[in-house]
Amino acid sequence: MTEDWLLSLDDVAVGYGRRVVLSGIGIKLPRGSFTGLLGANGSGKSTLIKSIIGVIPPLSGKIQFASQDGPDPVLGYVPQREALDSIFLLSGLEVVLMGCCGRVGPGRSFGREHRDWAQQCLQSAGAGDLARQRFSELSGGQKQRVLIARALAAKPDLLILDEPTAGIDAATSRAIMELLGRIHREQALTLLMVNHDLAAMRQFIQHVIWLQEGRITQGRADELLTRDRLEEMLKLQFS
Amino acid sequence: MEMLREILAPDFLLRNSVYISLLIGLACPLVGVHLVLRRLVFMGVALPQVSSCGIAAAFALHAWHIIPHVEESSEGLLAFTGSATFTLATILLFAVMERRGRGSVEGRVGAAYVLAGAWSILLLVKNPFGEHGLLDRLKGEIIAVSSADLLLTAGTFGVVVAALFLFHKEFMLVSFDRDMAVSLKKNVMGWDALLFAVIGLTISVSVLSVGPLVTFGFLLLPALIAHQLASSMRQFAVLAAVIGVVSAFLGFCIAYRWDLPVGPTDVALLGFLYGAAFLLKKLLYRRSVGAMNGPVR
Repeated sequence: MTEDWLLSLDDVAVGYGRRVVLSGIGIKLPRGSFTGLLGANGSGKSTLIKSIIGVIPPLSGKIQFASQDGPDPVLGYVPQREALDSIFLLSGLEVVLMGCCGRVGPGRSFGREHRDWAQQCLQSAGAGDLARQRFSELSGGQKQRVLIARALAAKPDLLILDEPTAGIDAATSRAIMELLGRIHREQALTLLMVNHDLAAMRQFIQHVIWLQEGRITQGRADELLTRDRLEEMLKLQFS
Repeated sequence: MEMLREILAPDFLLRNSVYISLLIGLACPLVGVHLVLRRLVFMGVALPQVSSCGIAAAFALHAWHIIPHVEESSEGLLAFTGSATFTLATILLFAVMERRGRGSVEGRVGAAYVLAGAWSILLLVKNPFGEHGLLDRLKGEIIAVSSADLLLTAGTFGVVVAALFLFHKEFMLVSFDRDMAVSLKKNVMGWDALLFAVIGLTISVSVLSVGPLVTFGFLLLPALIAHQLASSMRQFAVLAAVIGVVSAFLGFCIAYRWDLPVGPTDVALLGFLYGAAFLLKKLLYRRSVGAMNGPVR
């Protein structure tokens, strides 16, 4: 397979301290793809994501980013929104501006161009009207849009999302997925999204990485997300 | 009015005490904002106590001739060294243990508080020097502030306020979303270390000047009051500093007028303001809910 890849995991083991959560992981993420990282609660999806972004160093193996023209690709990260403390009195715009921190050196403040860019990112995430509202007081779906705008503000090559539709009603969840699908199409971004809501994401993703009991199954979504393969993977009988 | 003119006069006998109260009223709340945001309020209680223990240990080592003799004029430096060493070492230890995920944060902070308190007393009791100057330092006699102490405090707080202002963006990012900061390739450990160094330095110098009780009071109460009233991060920081400065000055005036100890008066006043802010917020909330529901028919 000669496909152009952006992220490669070679025989990687991840976990906490001495506890191995996943091992022997080999993944090549195609450039410009929209990949869903699926699996049940506790299967190690978030641990794997945290290793990819550098929060938890891998226990063994190599995580590599392909760089076409020199510098490492920029990551845009959308965390689980519950992880962010509501004690911070930040507006939507201030949260999005954090995405520009990678381009503004220490001791320097955000300029007009950063504010304009942040506002533009909010607009493209469908959250232009949330710039002045307090982030902690937004609804789940609104927070998610602001966090997606923040990740876009980093001008990323790879957008990584950790359960962006968790705890959100079906209509909002659908709107978030449509937004991500549009961002993927229009900006030709590579997306890696953790989710356990297969129904919400199946029509948008092209590739699937399925974590189950420490094992990985991966492939094209149209090949893996068929009834037979799902039954096999889930060990369930559909009625 | 007469009293105000007297206190504000440039030749006022206790002018150093007024200046140091104002400096602490300004700098401690700005640092306290970060303790509140990172939910490290208990650390704000424990670290001043650890800092006191550092001062007691430095004087004990001096009294027992374990460290070389210092002139009386260098005692301030000795106390500062003890205070800063203990505070920064404790912060470093907390950070390492947190990173390794051992035990509970509350347990560690509680243990540090109680052990530092006990050791301060033990070191004081067995120190012949403890009968005079040292006890005053630990009690935080704001009345007895030398020009050298004032200069040290002003210089340190200048650095602290400049660091908080310059690196606000970085401190906010690593405090609000550590994972995102890592994904943007920020040196999270480095920024944490700088923030904790700023916190440690402020506490060390403040404890040296006004003692652990007042330091704790000014670290946390203005920030907690401001958080109830502010609607943005900028308002939060500015309001905390304004509350700190105003209550430091008012506290000094009240203490001077009624011959009370300055430190405890300041803290009691802040406590009163905390209660008032709580009631004000409740009242405003009820009014806004009432306005939304409209008149009862």
